[in-house]
Amino acid sequence: MEYNLEVLNLVKKYPDFKLDSVNIKLPKGKIIGLIGENGSGKTTTIKAILNLMNYDKGNIKIFGKDSRSLIKEEREQIGIVLSDSFFSPILNVNDINKLMKDFYHNWNEKLYYEMIKEFKIPCNKPLKEFSSGMKMKIKVLCAIAHEPKLLILDEPTNGLDPIFRYEIIELFNNFVSNGENSILMTTHITSDLEHLTDEVIFIDDGHIILDVSKEVIDNEYGILELPEEKFIKIKKEDYFKSLKYKDEYLVLVNSKDEFLKKYSKMILRKPILEELMLMLVKGE
Amino acid sequence: MNIIKGLLLKDLYVFRNFKGNIIFSVFMFIFLIFIGSLRMDMFTIGSILFLIFFGMNSISSFSYDENADSDKYLLSLPITRKEVVLSKYLFVFLDSFISLIVGMLVSLFITILVRGSVDNIGTSLRICLIVFTSTSFLMCSNVPCIYKWGVEKGRMQSVIIPALFVFVLGMLGSLLLVLFPGLYLNVNLEYLFQISSFICLILNIIFYSVSYLISYKIYLKKEI
Repeated sequence: MEYNLEVLNLVKKYPDFKLDSVNIKLPKGKIIGLIGENGSGKTTTIKAILNLMNYDKGNIKIFGKDSRSLIKEEREQIGIVLSDSFFSPILNVNDINKLMKDFYHNWNEKLYYEMIKEFKIPCNKPLKEFSSGMKMKIKVLCAIAHEPKLLILDEPTNGLDPIFRYEIIELFNNFVSNGENSILMTTHITSDLEHLTDEVIFIDDGHIILDVSKEVIDNEYGILELPEEKFIKIKKEDYFKSLKYKDEYLVLVNSKDEFLKKYSKMILRKPILEELMLMLVKGE
Repeated sequence: MNIIKGLLLKDLYVFRNFKGNIIFSVFMFIFLIFIGSLRMDMFTIGSILFLIFFGMNSISSFSYDENADSDKYLLSLPITRKEVVLSKYLFVFLDSFISLIVGMLVSLFITILVRGSVDNIGTSLRICLIVFTSTSFLMCSNVPCIYKWGVEKGRMQSVIIPALFVFVLGMLGSLLLVLFPGLYLNVNLEYLFQISSFICLILNIIFYSVSYLISYKIYLKKEI
């Protein structure tokens, strides 16, 4: 399998936090969602991938090459969205176009303005007058308009209204549909990933606690809500995680068929990613 | 080269934000130079006024970058740390240089219009160059401080470091005078002033080169 991005045993130590042996393998044509609480290590991982910081151990490969030895033309094949960083808010859409034309050889001005028109973004207003959703739209367009092969997106759906979230999910799905392009995105809005990712990586306190394909989640994971008297009848070894939630217990199962063999009268439903994240972080 | 052009353009857009103030100040300075020229030669003072007032505004581009956390985004694009630092120094230099040239042209025009000629233009040009070199020294001290501590935190250091440098230099001079009392008797100040243009040129090259190398080294190690 060919990978556009490989993060191998990444370790970064801070006095109060450690990113510990993070592994991500992003094949061509796939989307991986990196999910975790605030401060779990998502942004640190992204910063390491983008060479914005040094790391203590590990190796990061982009397009099969060490990320630190990529030449300009290869770096042009990466599109970036960072939730907390962009151009100065006094710039407008036209200014950004002029800058990006200088920064990227393959900047597609026509595509940029087509998308600007499609997403109804005003051209002459400075960014500081944009809503947070509008700002995010412009960031996403800047990541795409130079036609990259790899998108690295840090919270790209933050502040977006449901319609644009839908449009952007479509945009990302189209982006990978050629089988060559890939996306790594971090988010805490897990619902966006339901229809988007092929694989989900859960990170908590610097550790990957689950790396699983969406297909496996759909086919093998199940969740059930039970009152306490029923919950105590289930053996610990038969489920993956449990969590007391209000008056009931949420039980997460990671081998649906085996569970149903033992507890045939119970009805499992498909877990949503938000529940999965909650159970992984807070569950026992 | 395109990258540097783009980075310079990005910083130039910052100036657009206070173009109203700039236009107002230019007209105010033109008026002051005109009024002053009725009584005295304003070429030197006018030129220096433009240099001091407009030539040190480039520092504000650092604030805008810091507020938007732009460096993180820029370094994620196909832009190197070297290009970011180099473009900043070019911007700082061009801002000072263009401000001085514009100031000189405006002052020259008004002085000739009001007084017919400039008194001793050679001396005036040398004084302008000496002031330009002094502002270069200040700017070149400030930029590494900003890279090291940021605009806000580096504000104090930006004042202390050049002051400390001048203080140490002064102390060394005084020490030399105490150790070798006859040392300065042979210094020809007039000759020194004559070659001041050359000295200023050398000093500017030294200030910018050393400051650039320090900033680049700091920025290279910095976690963004």
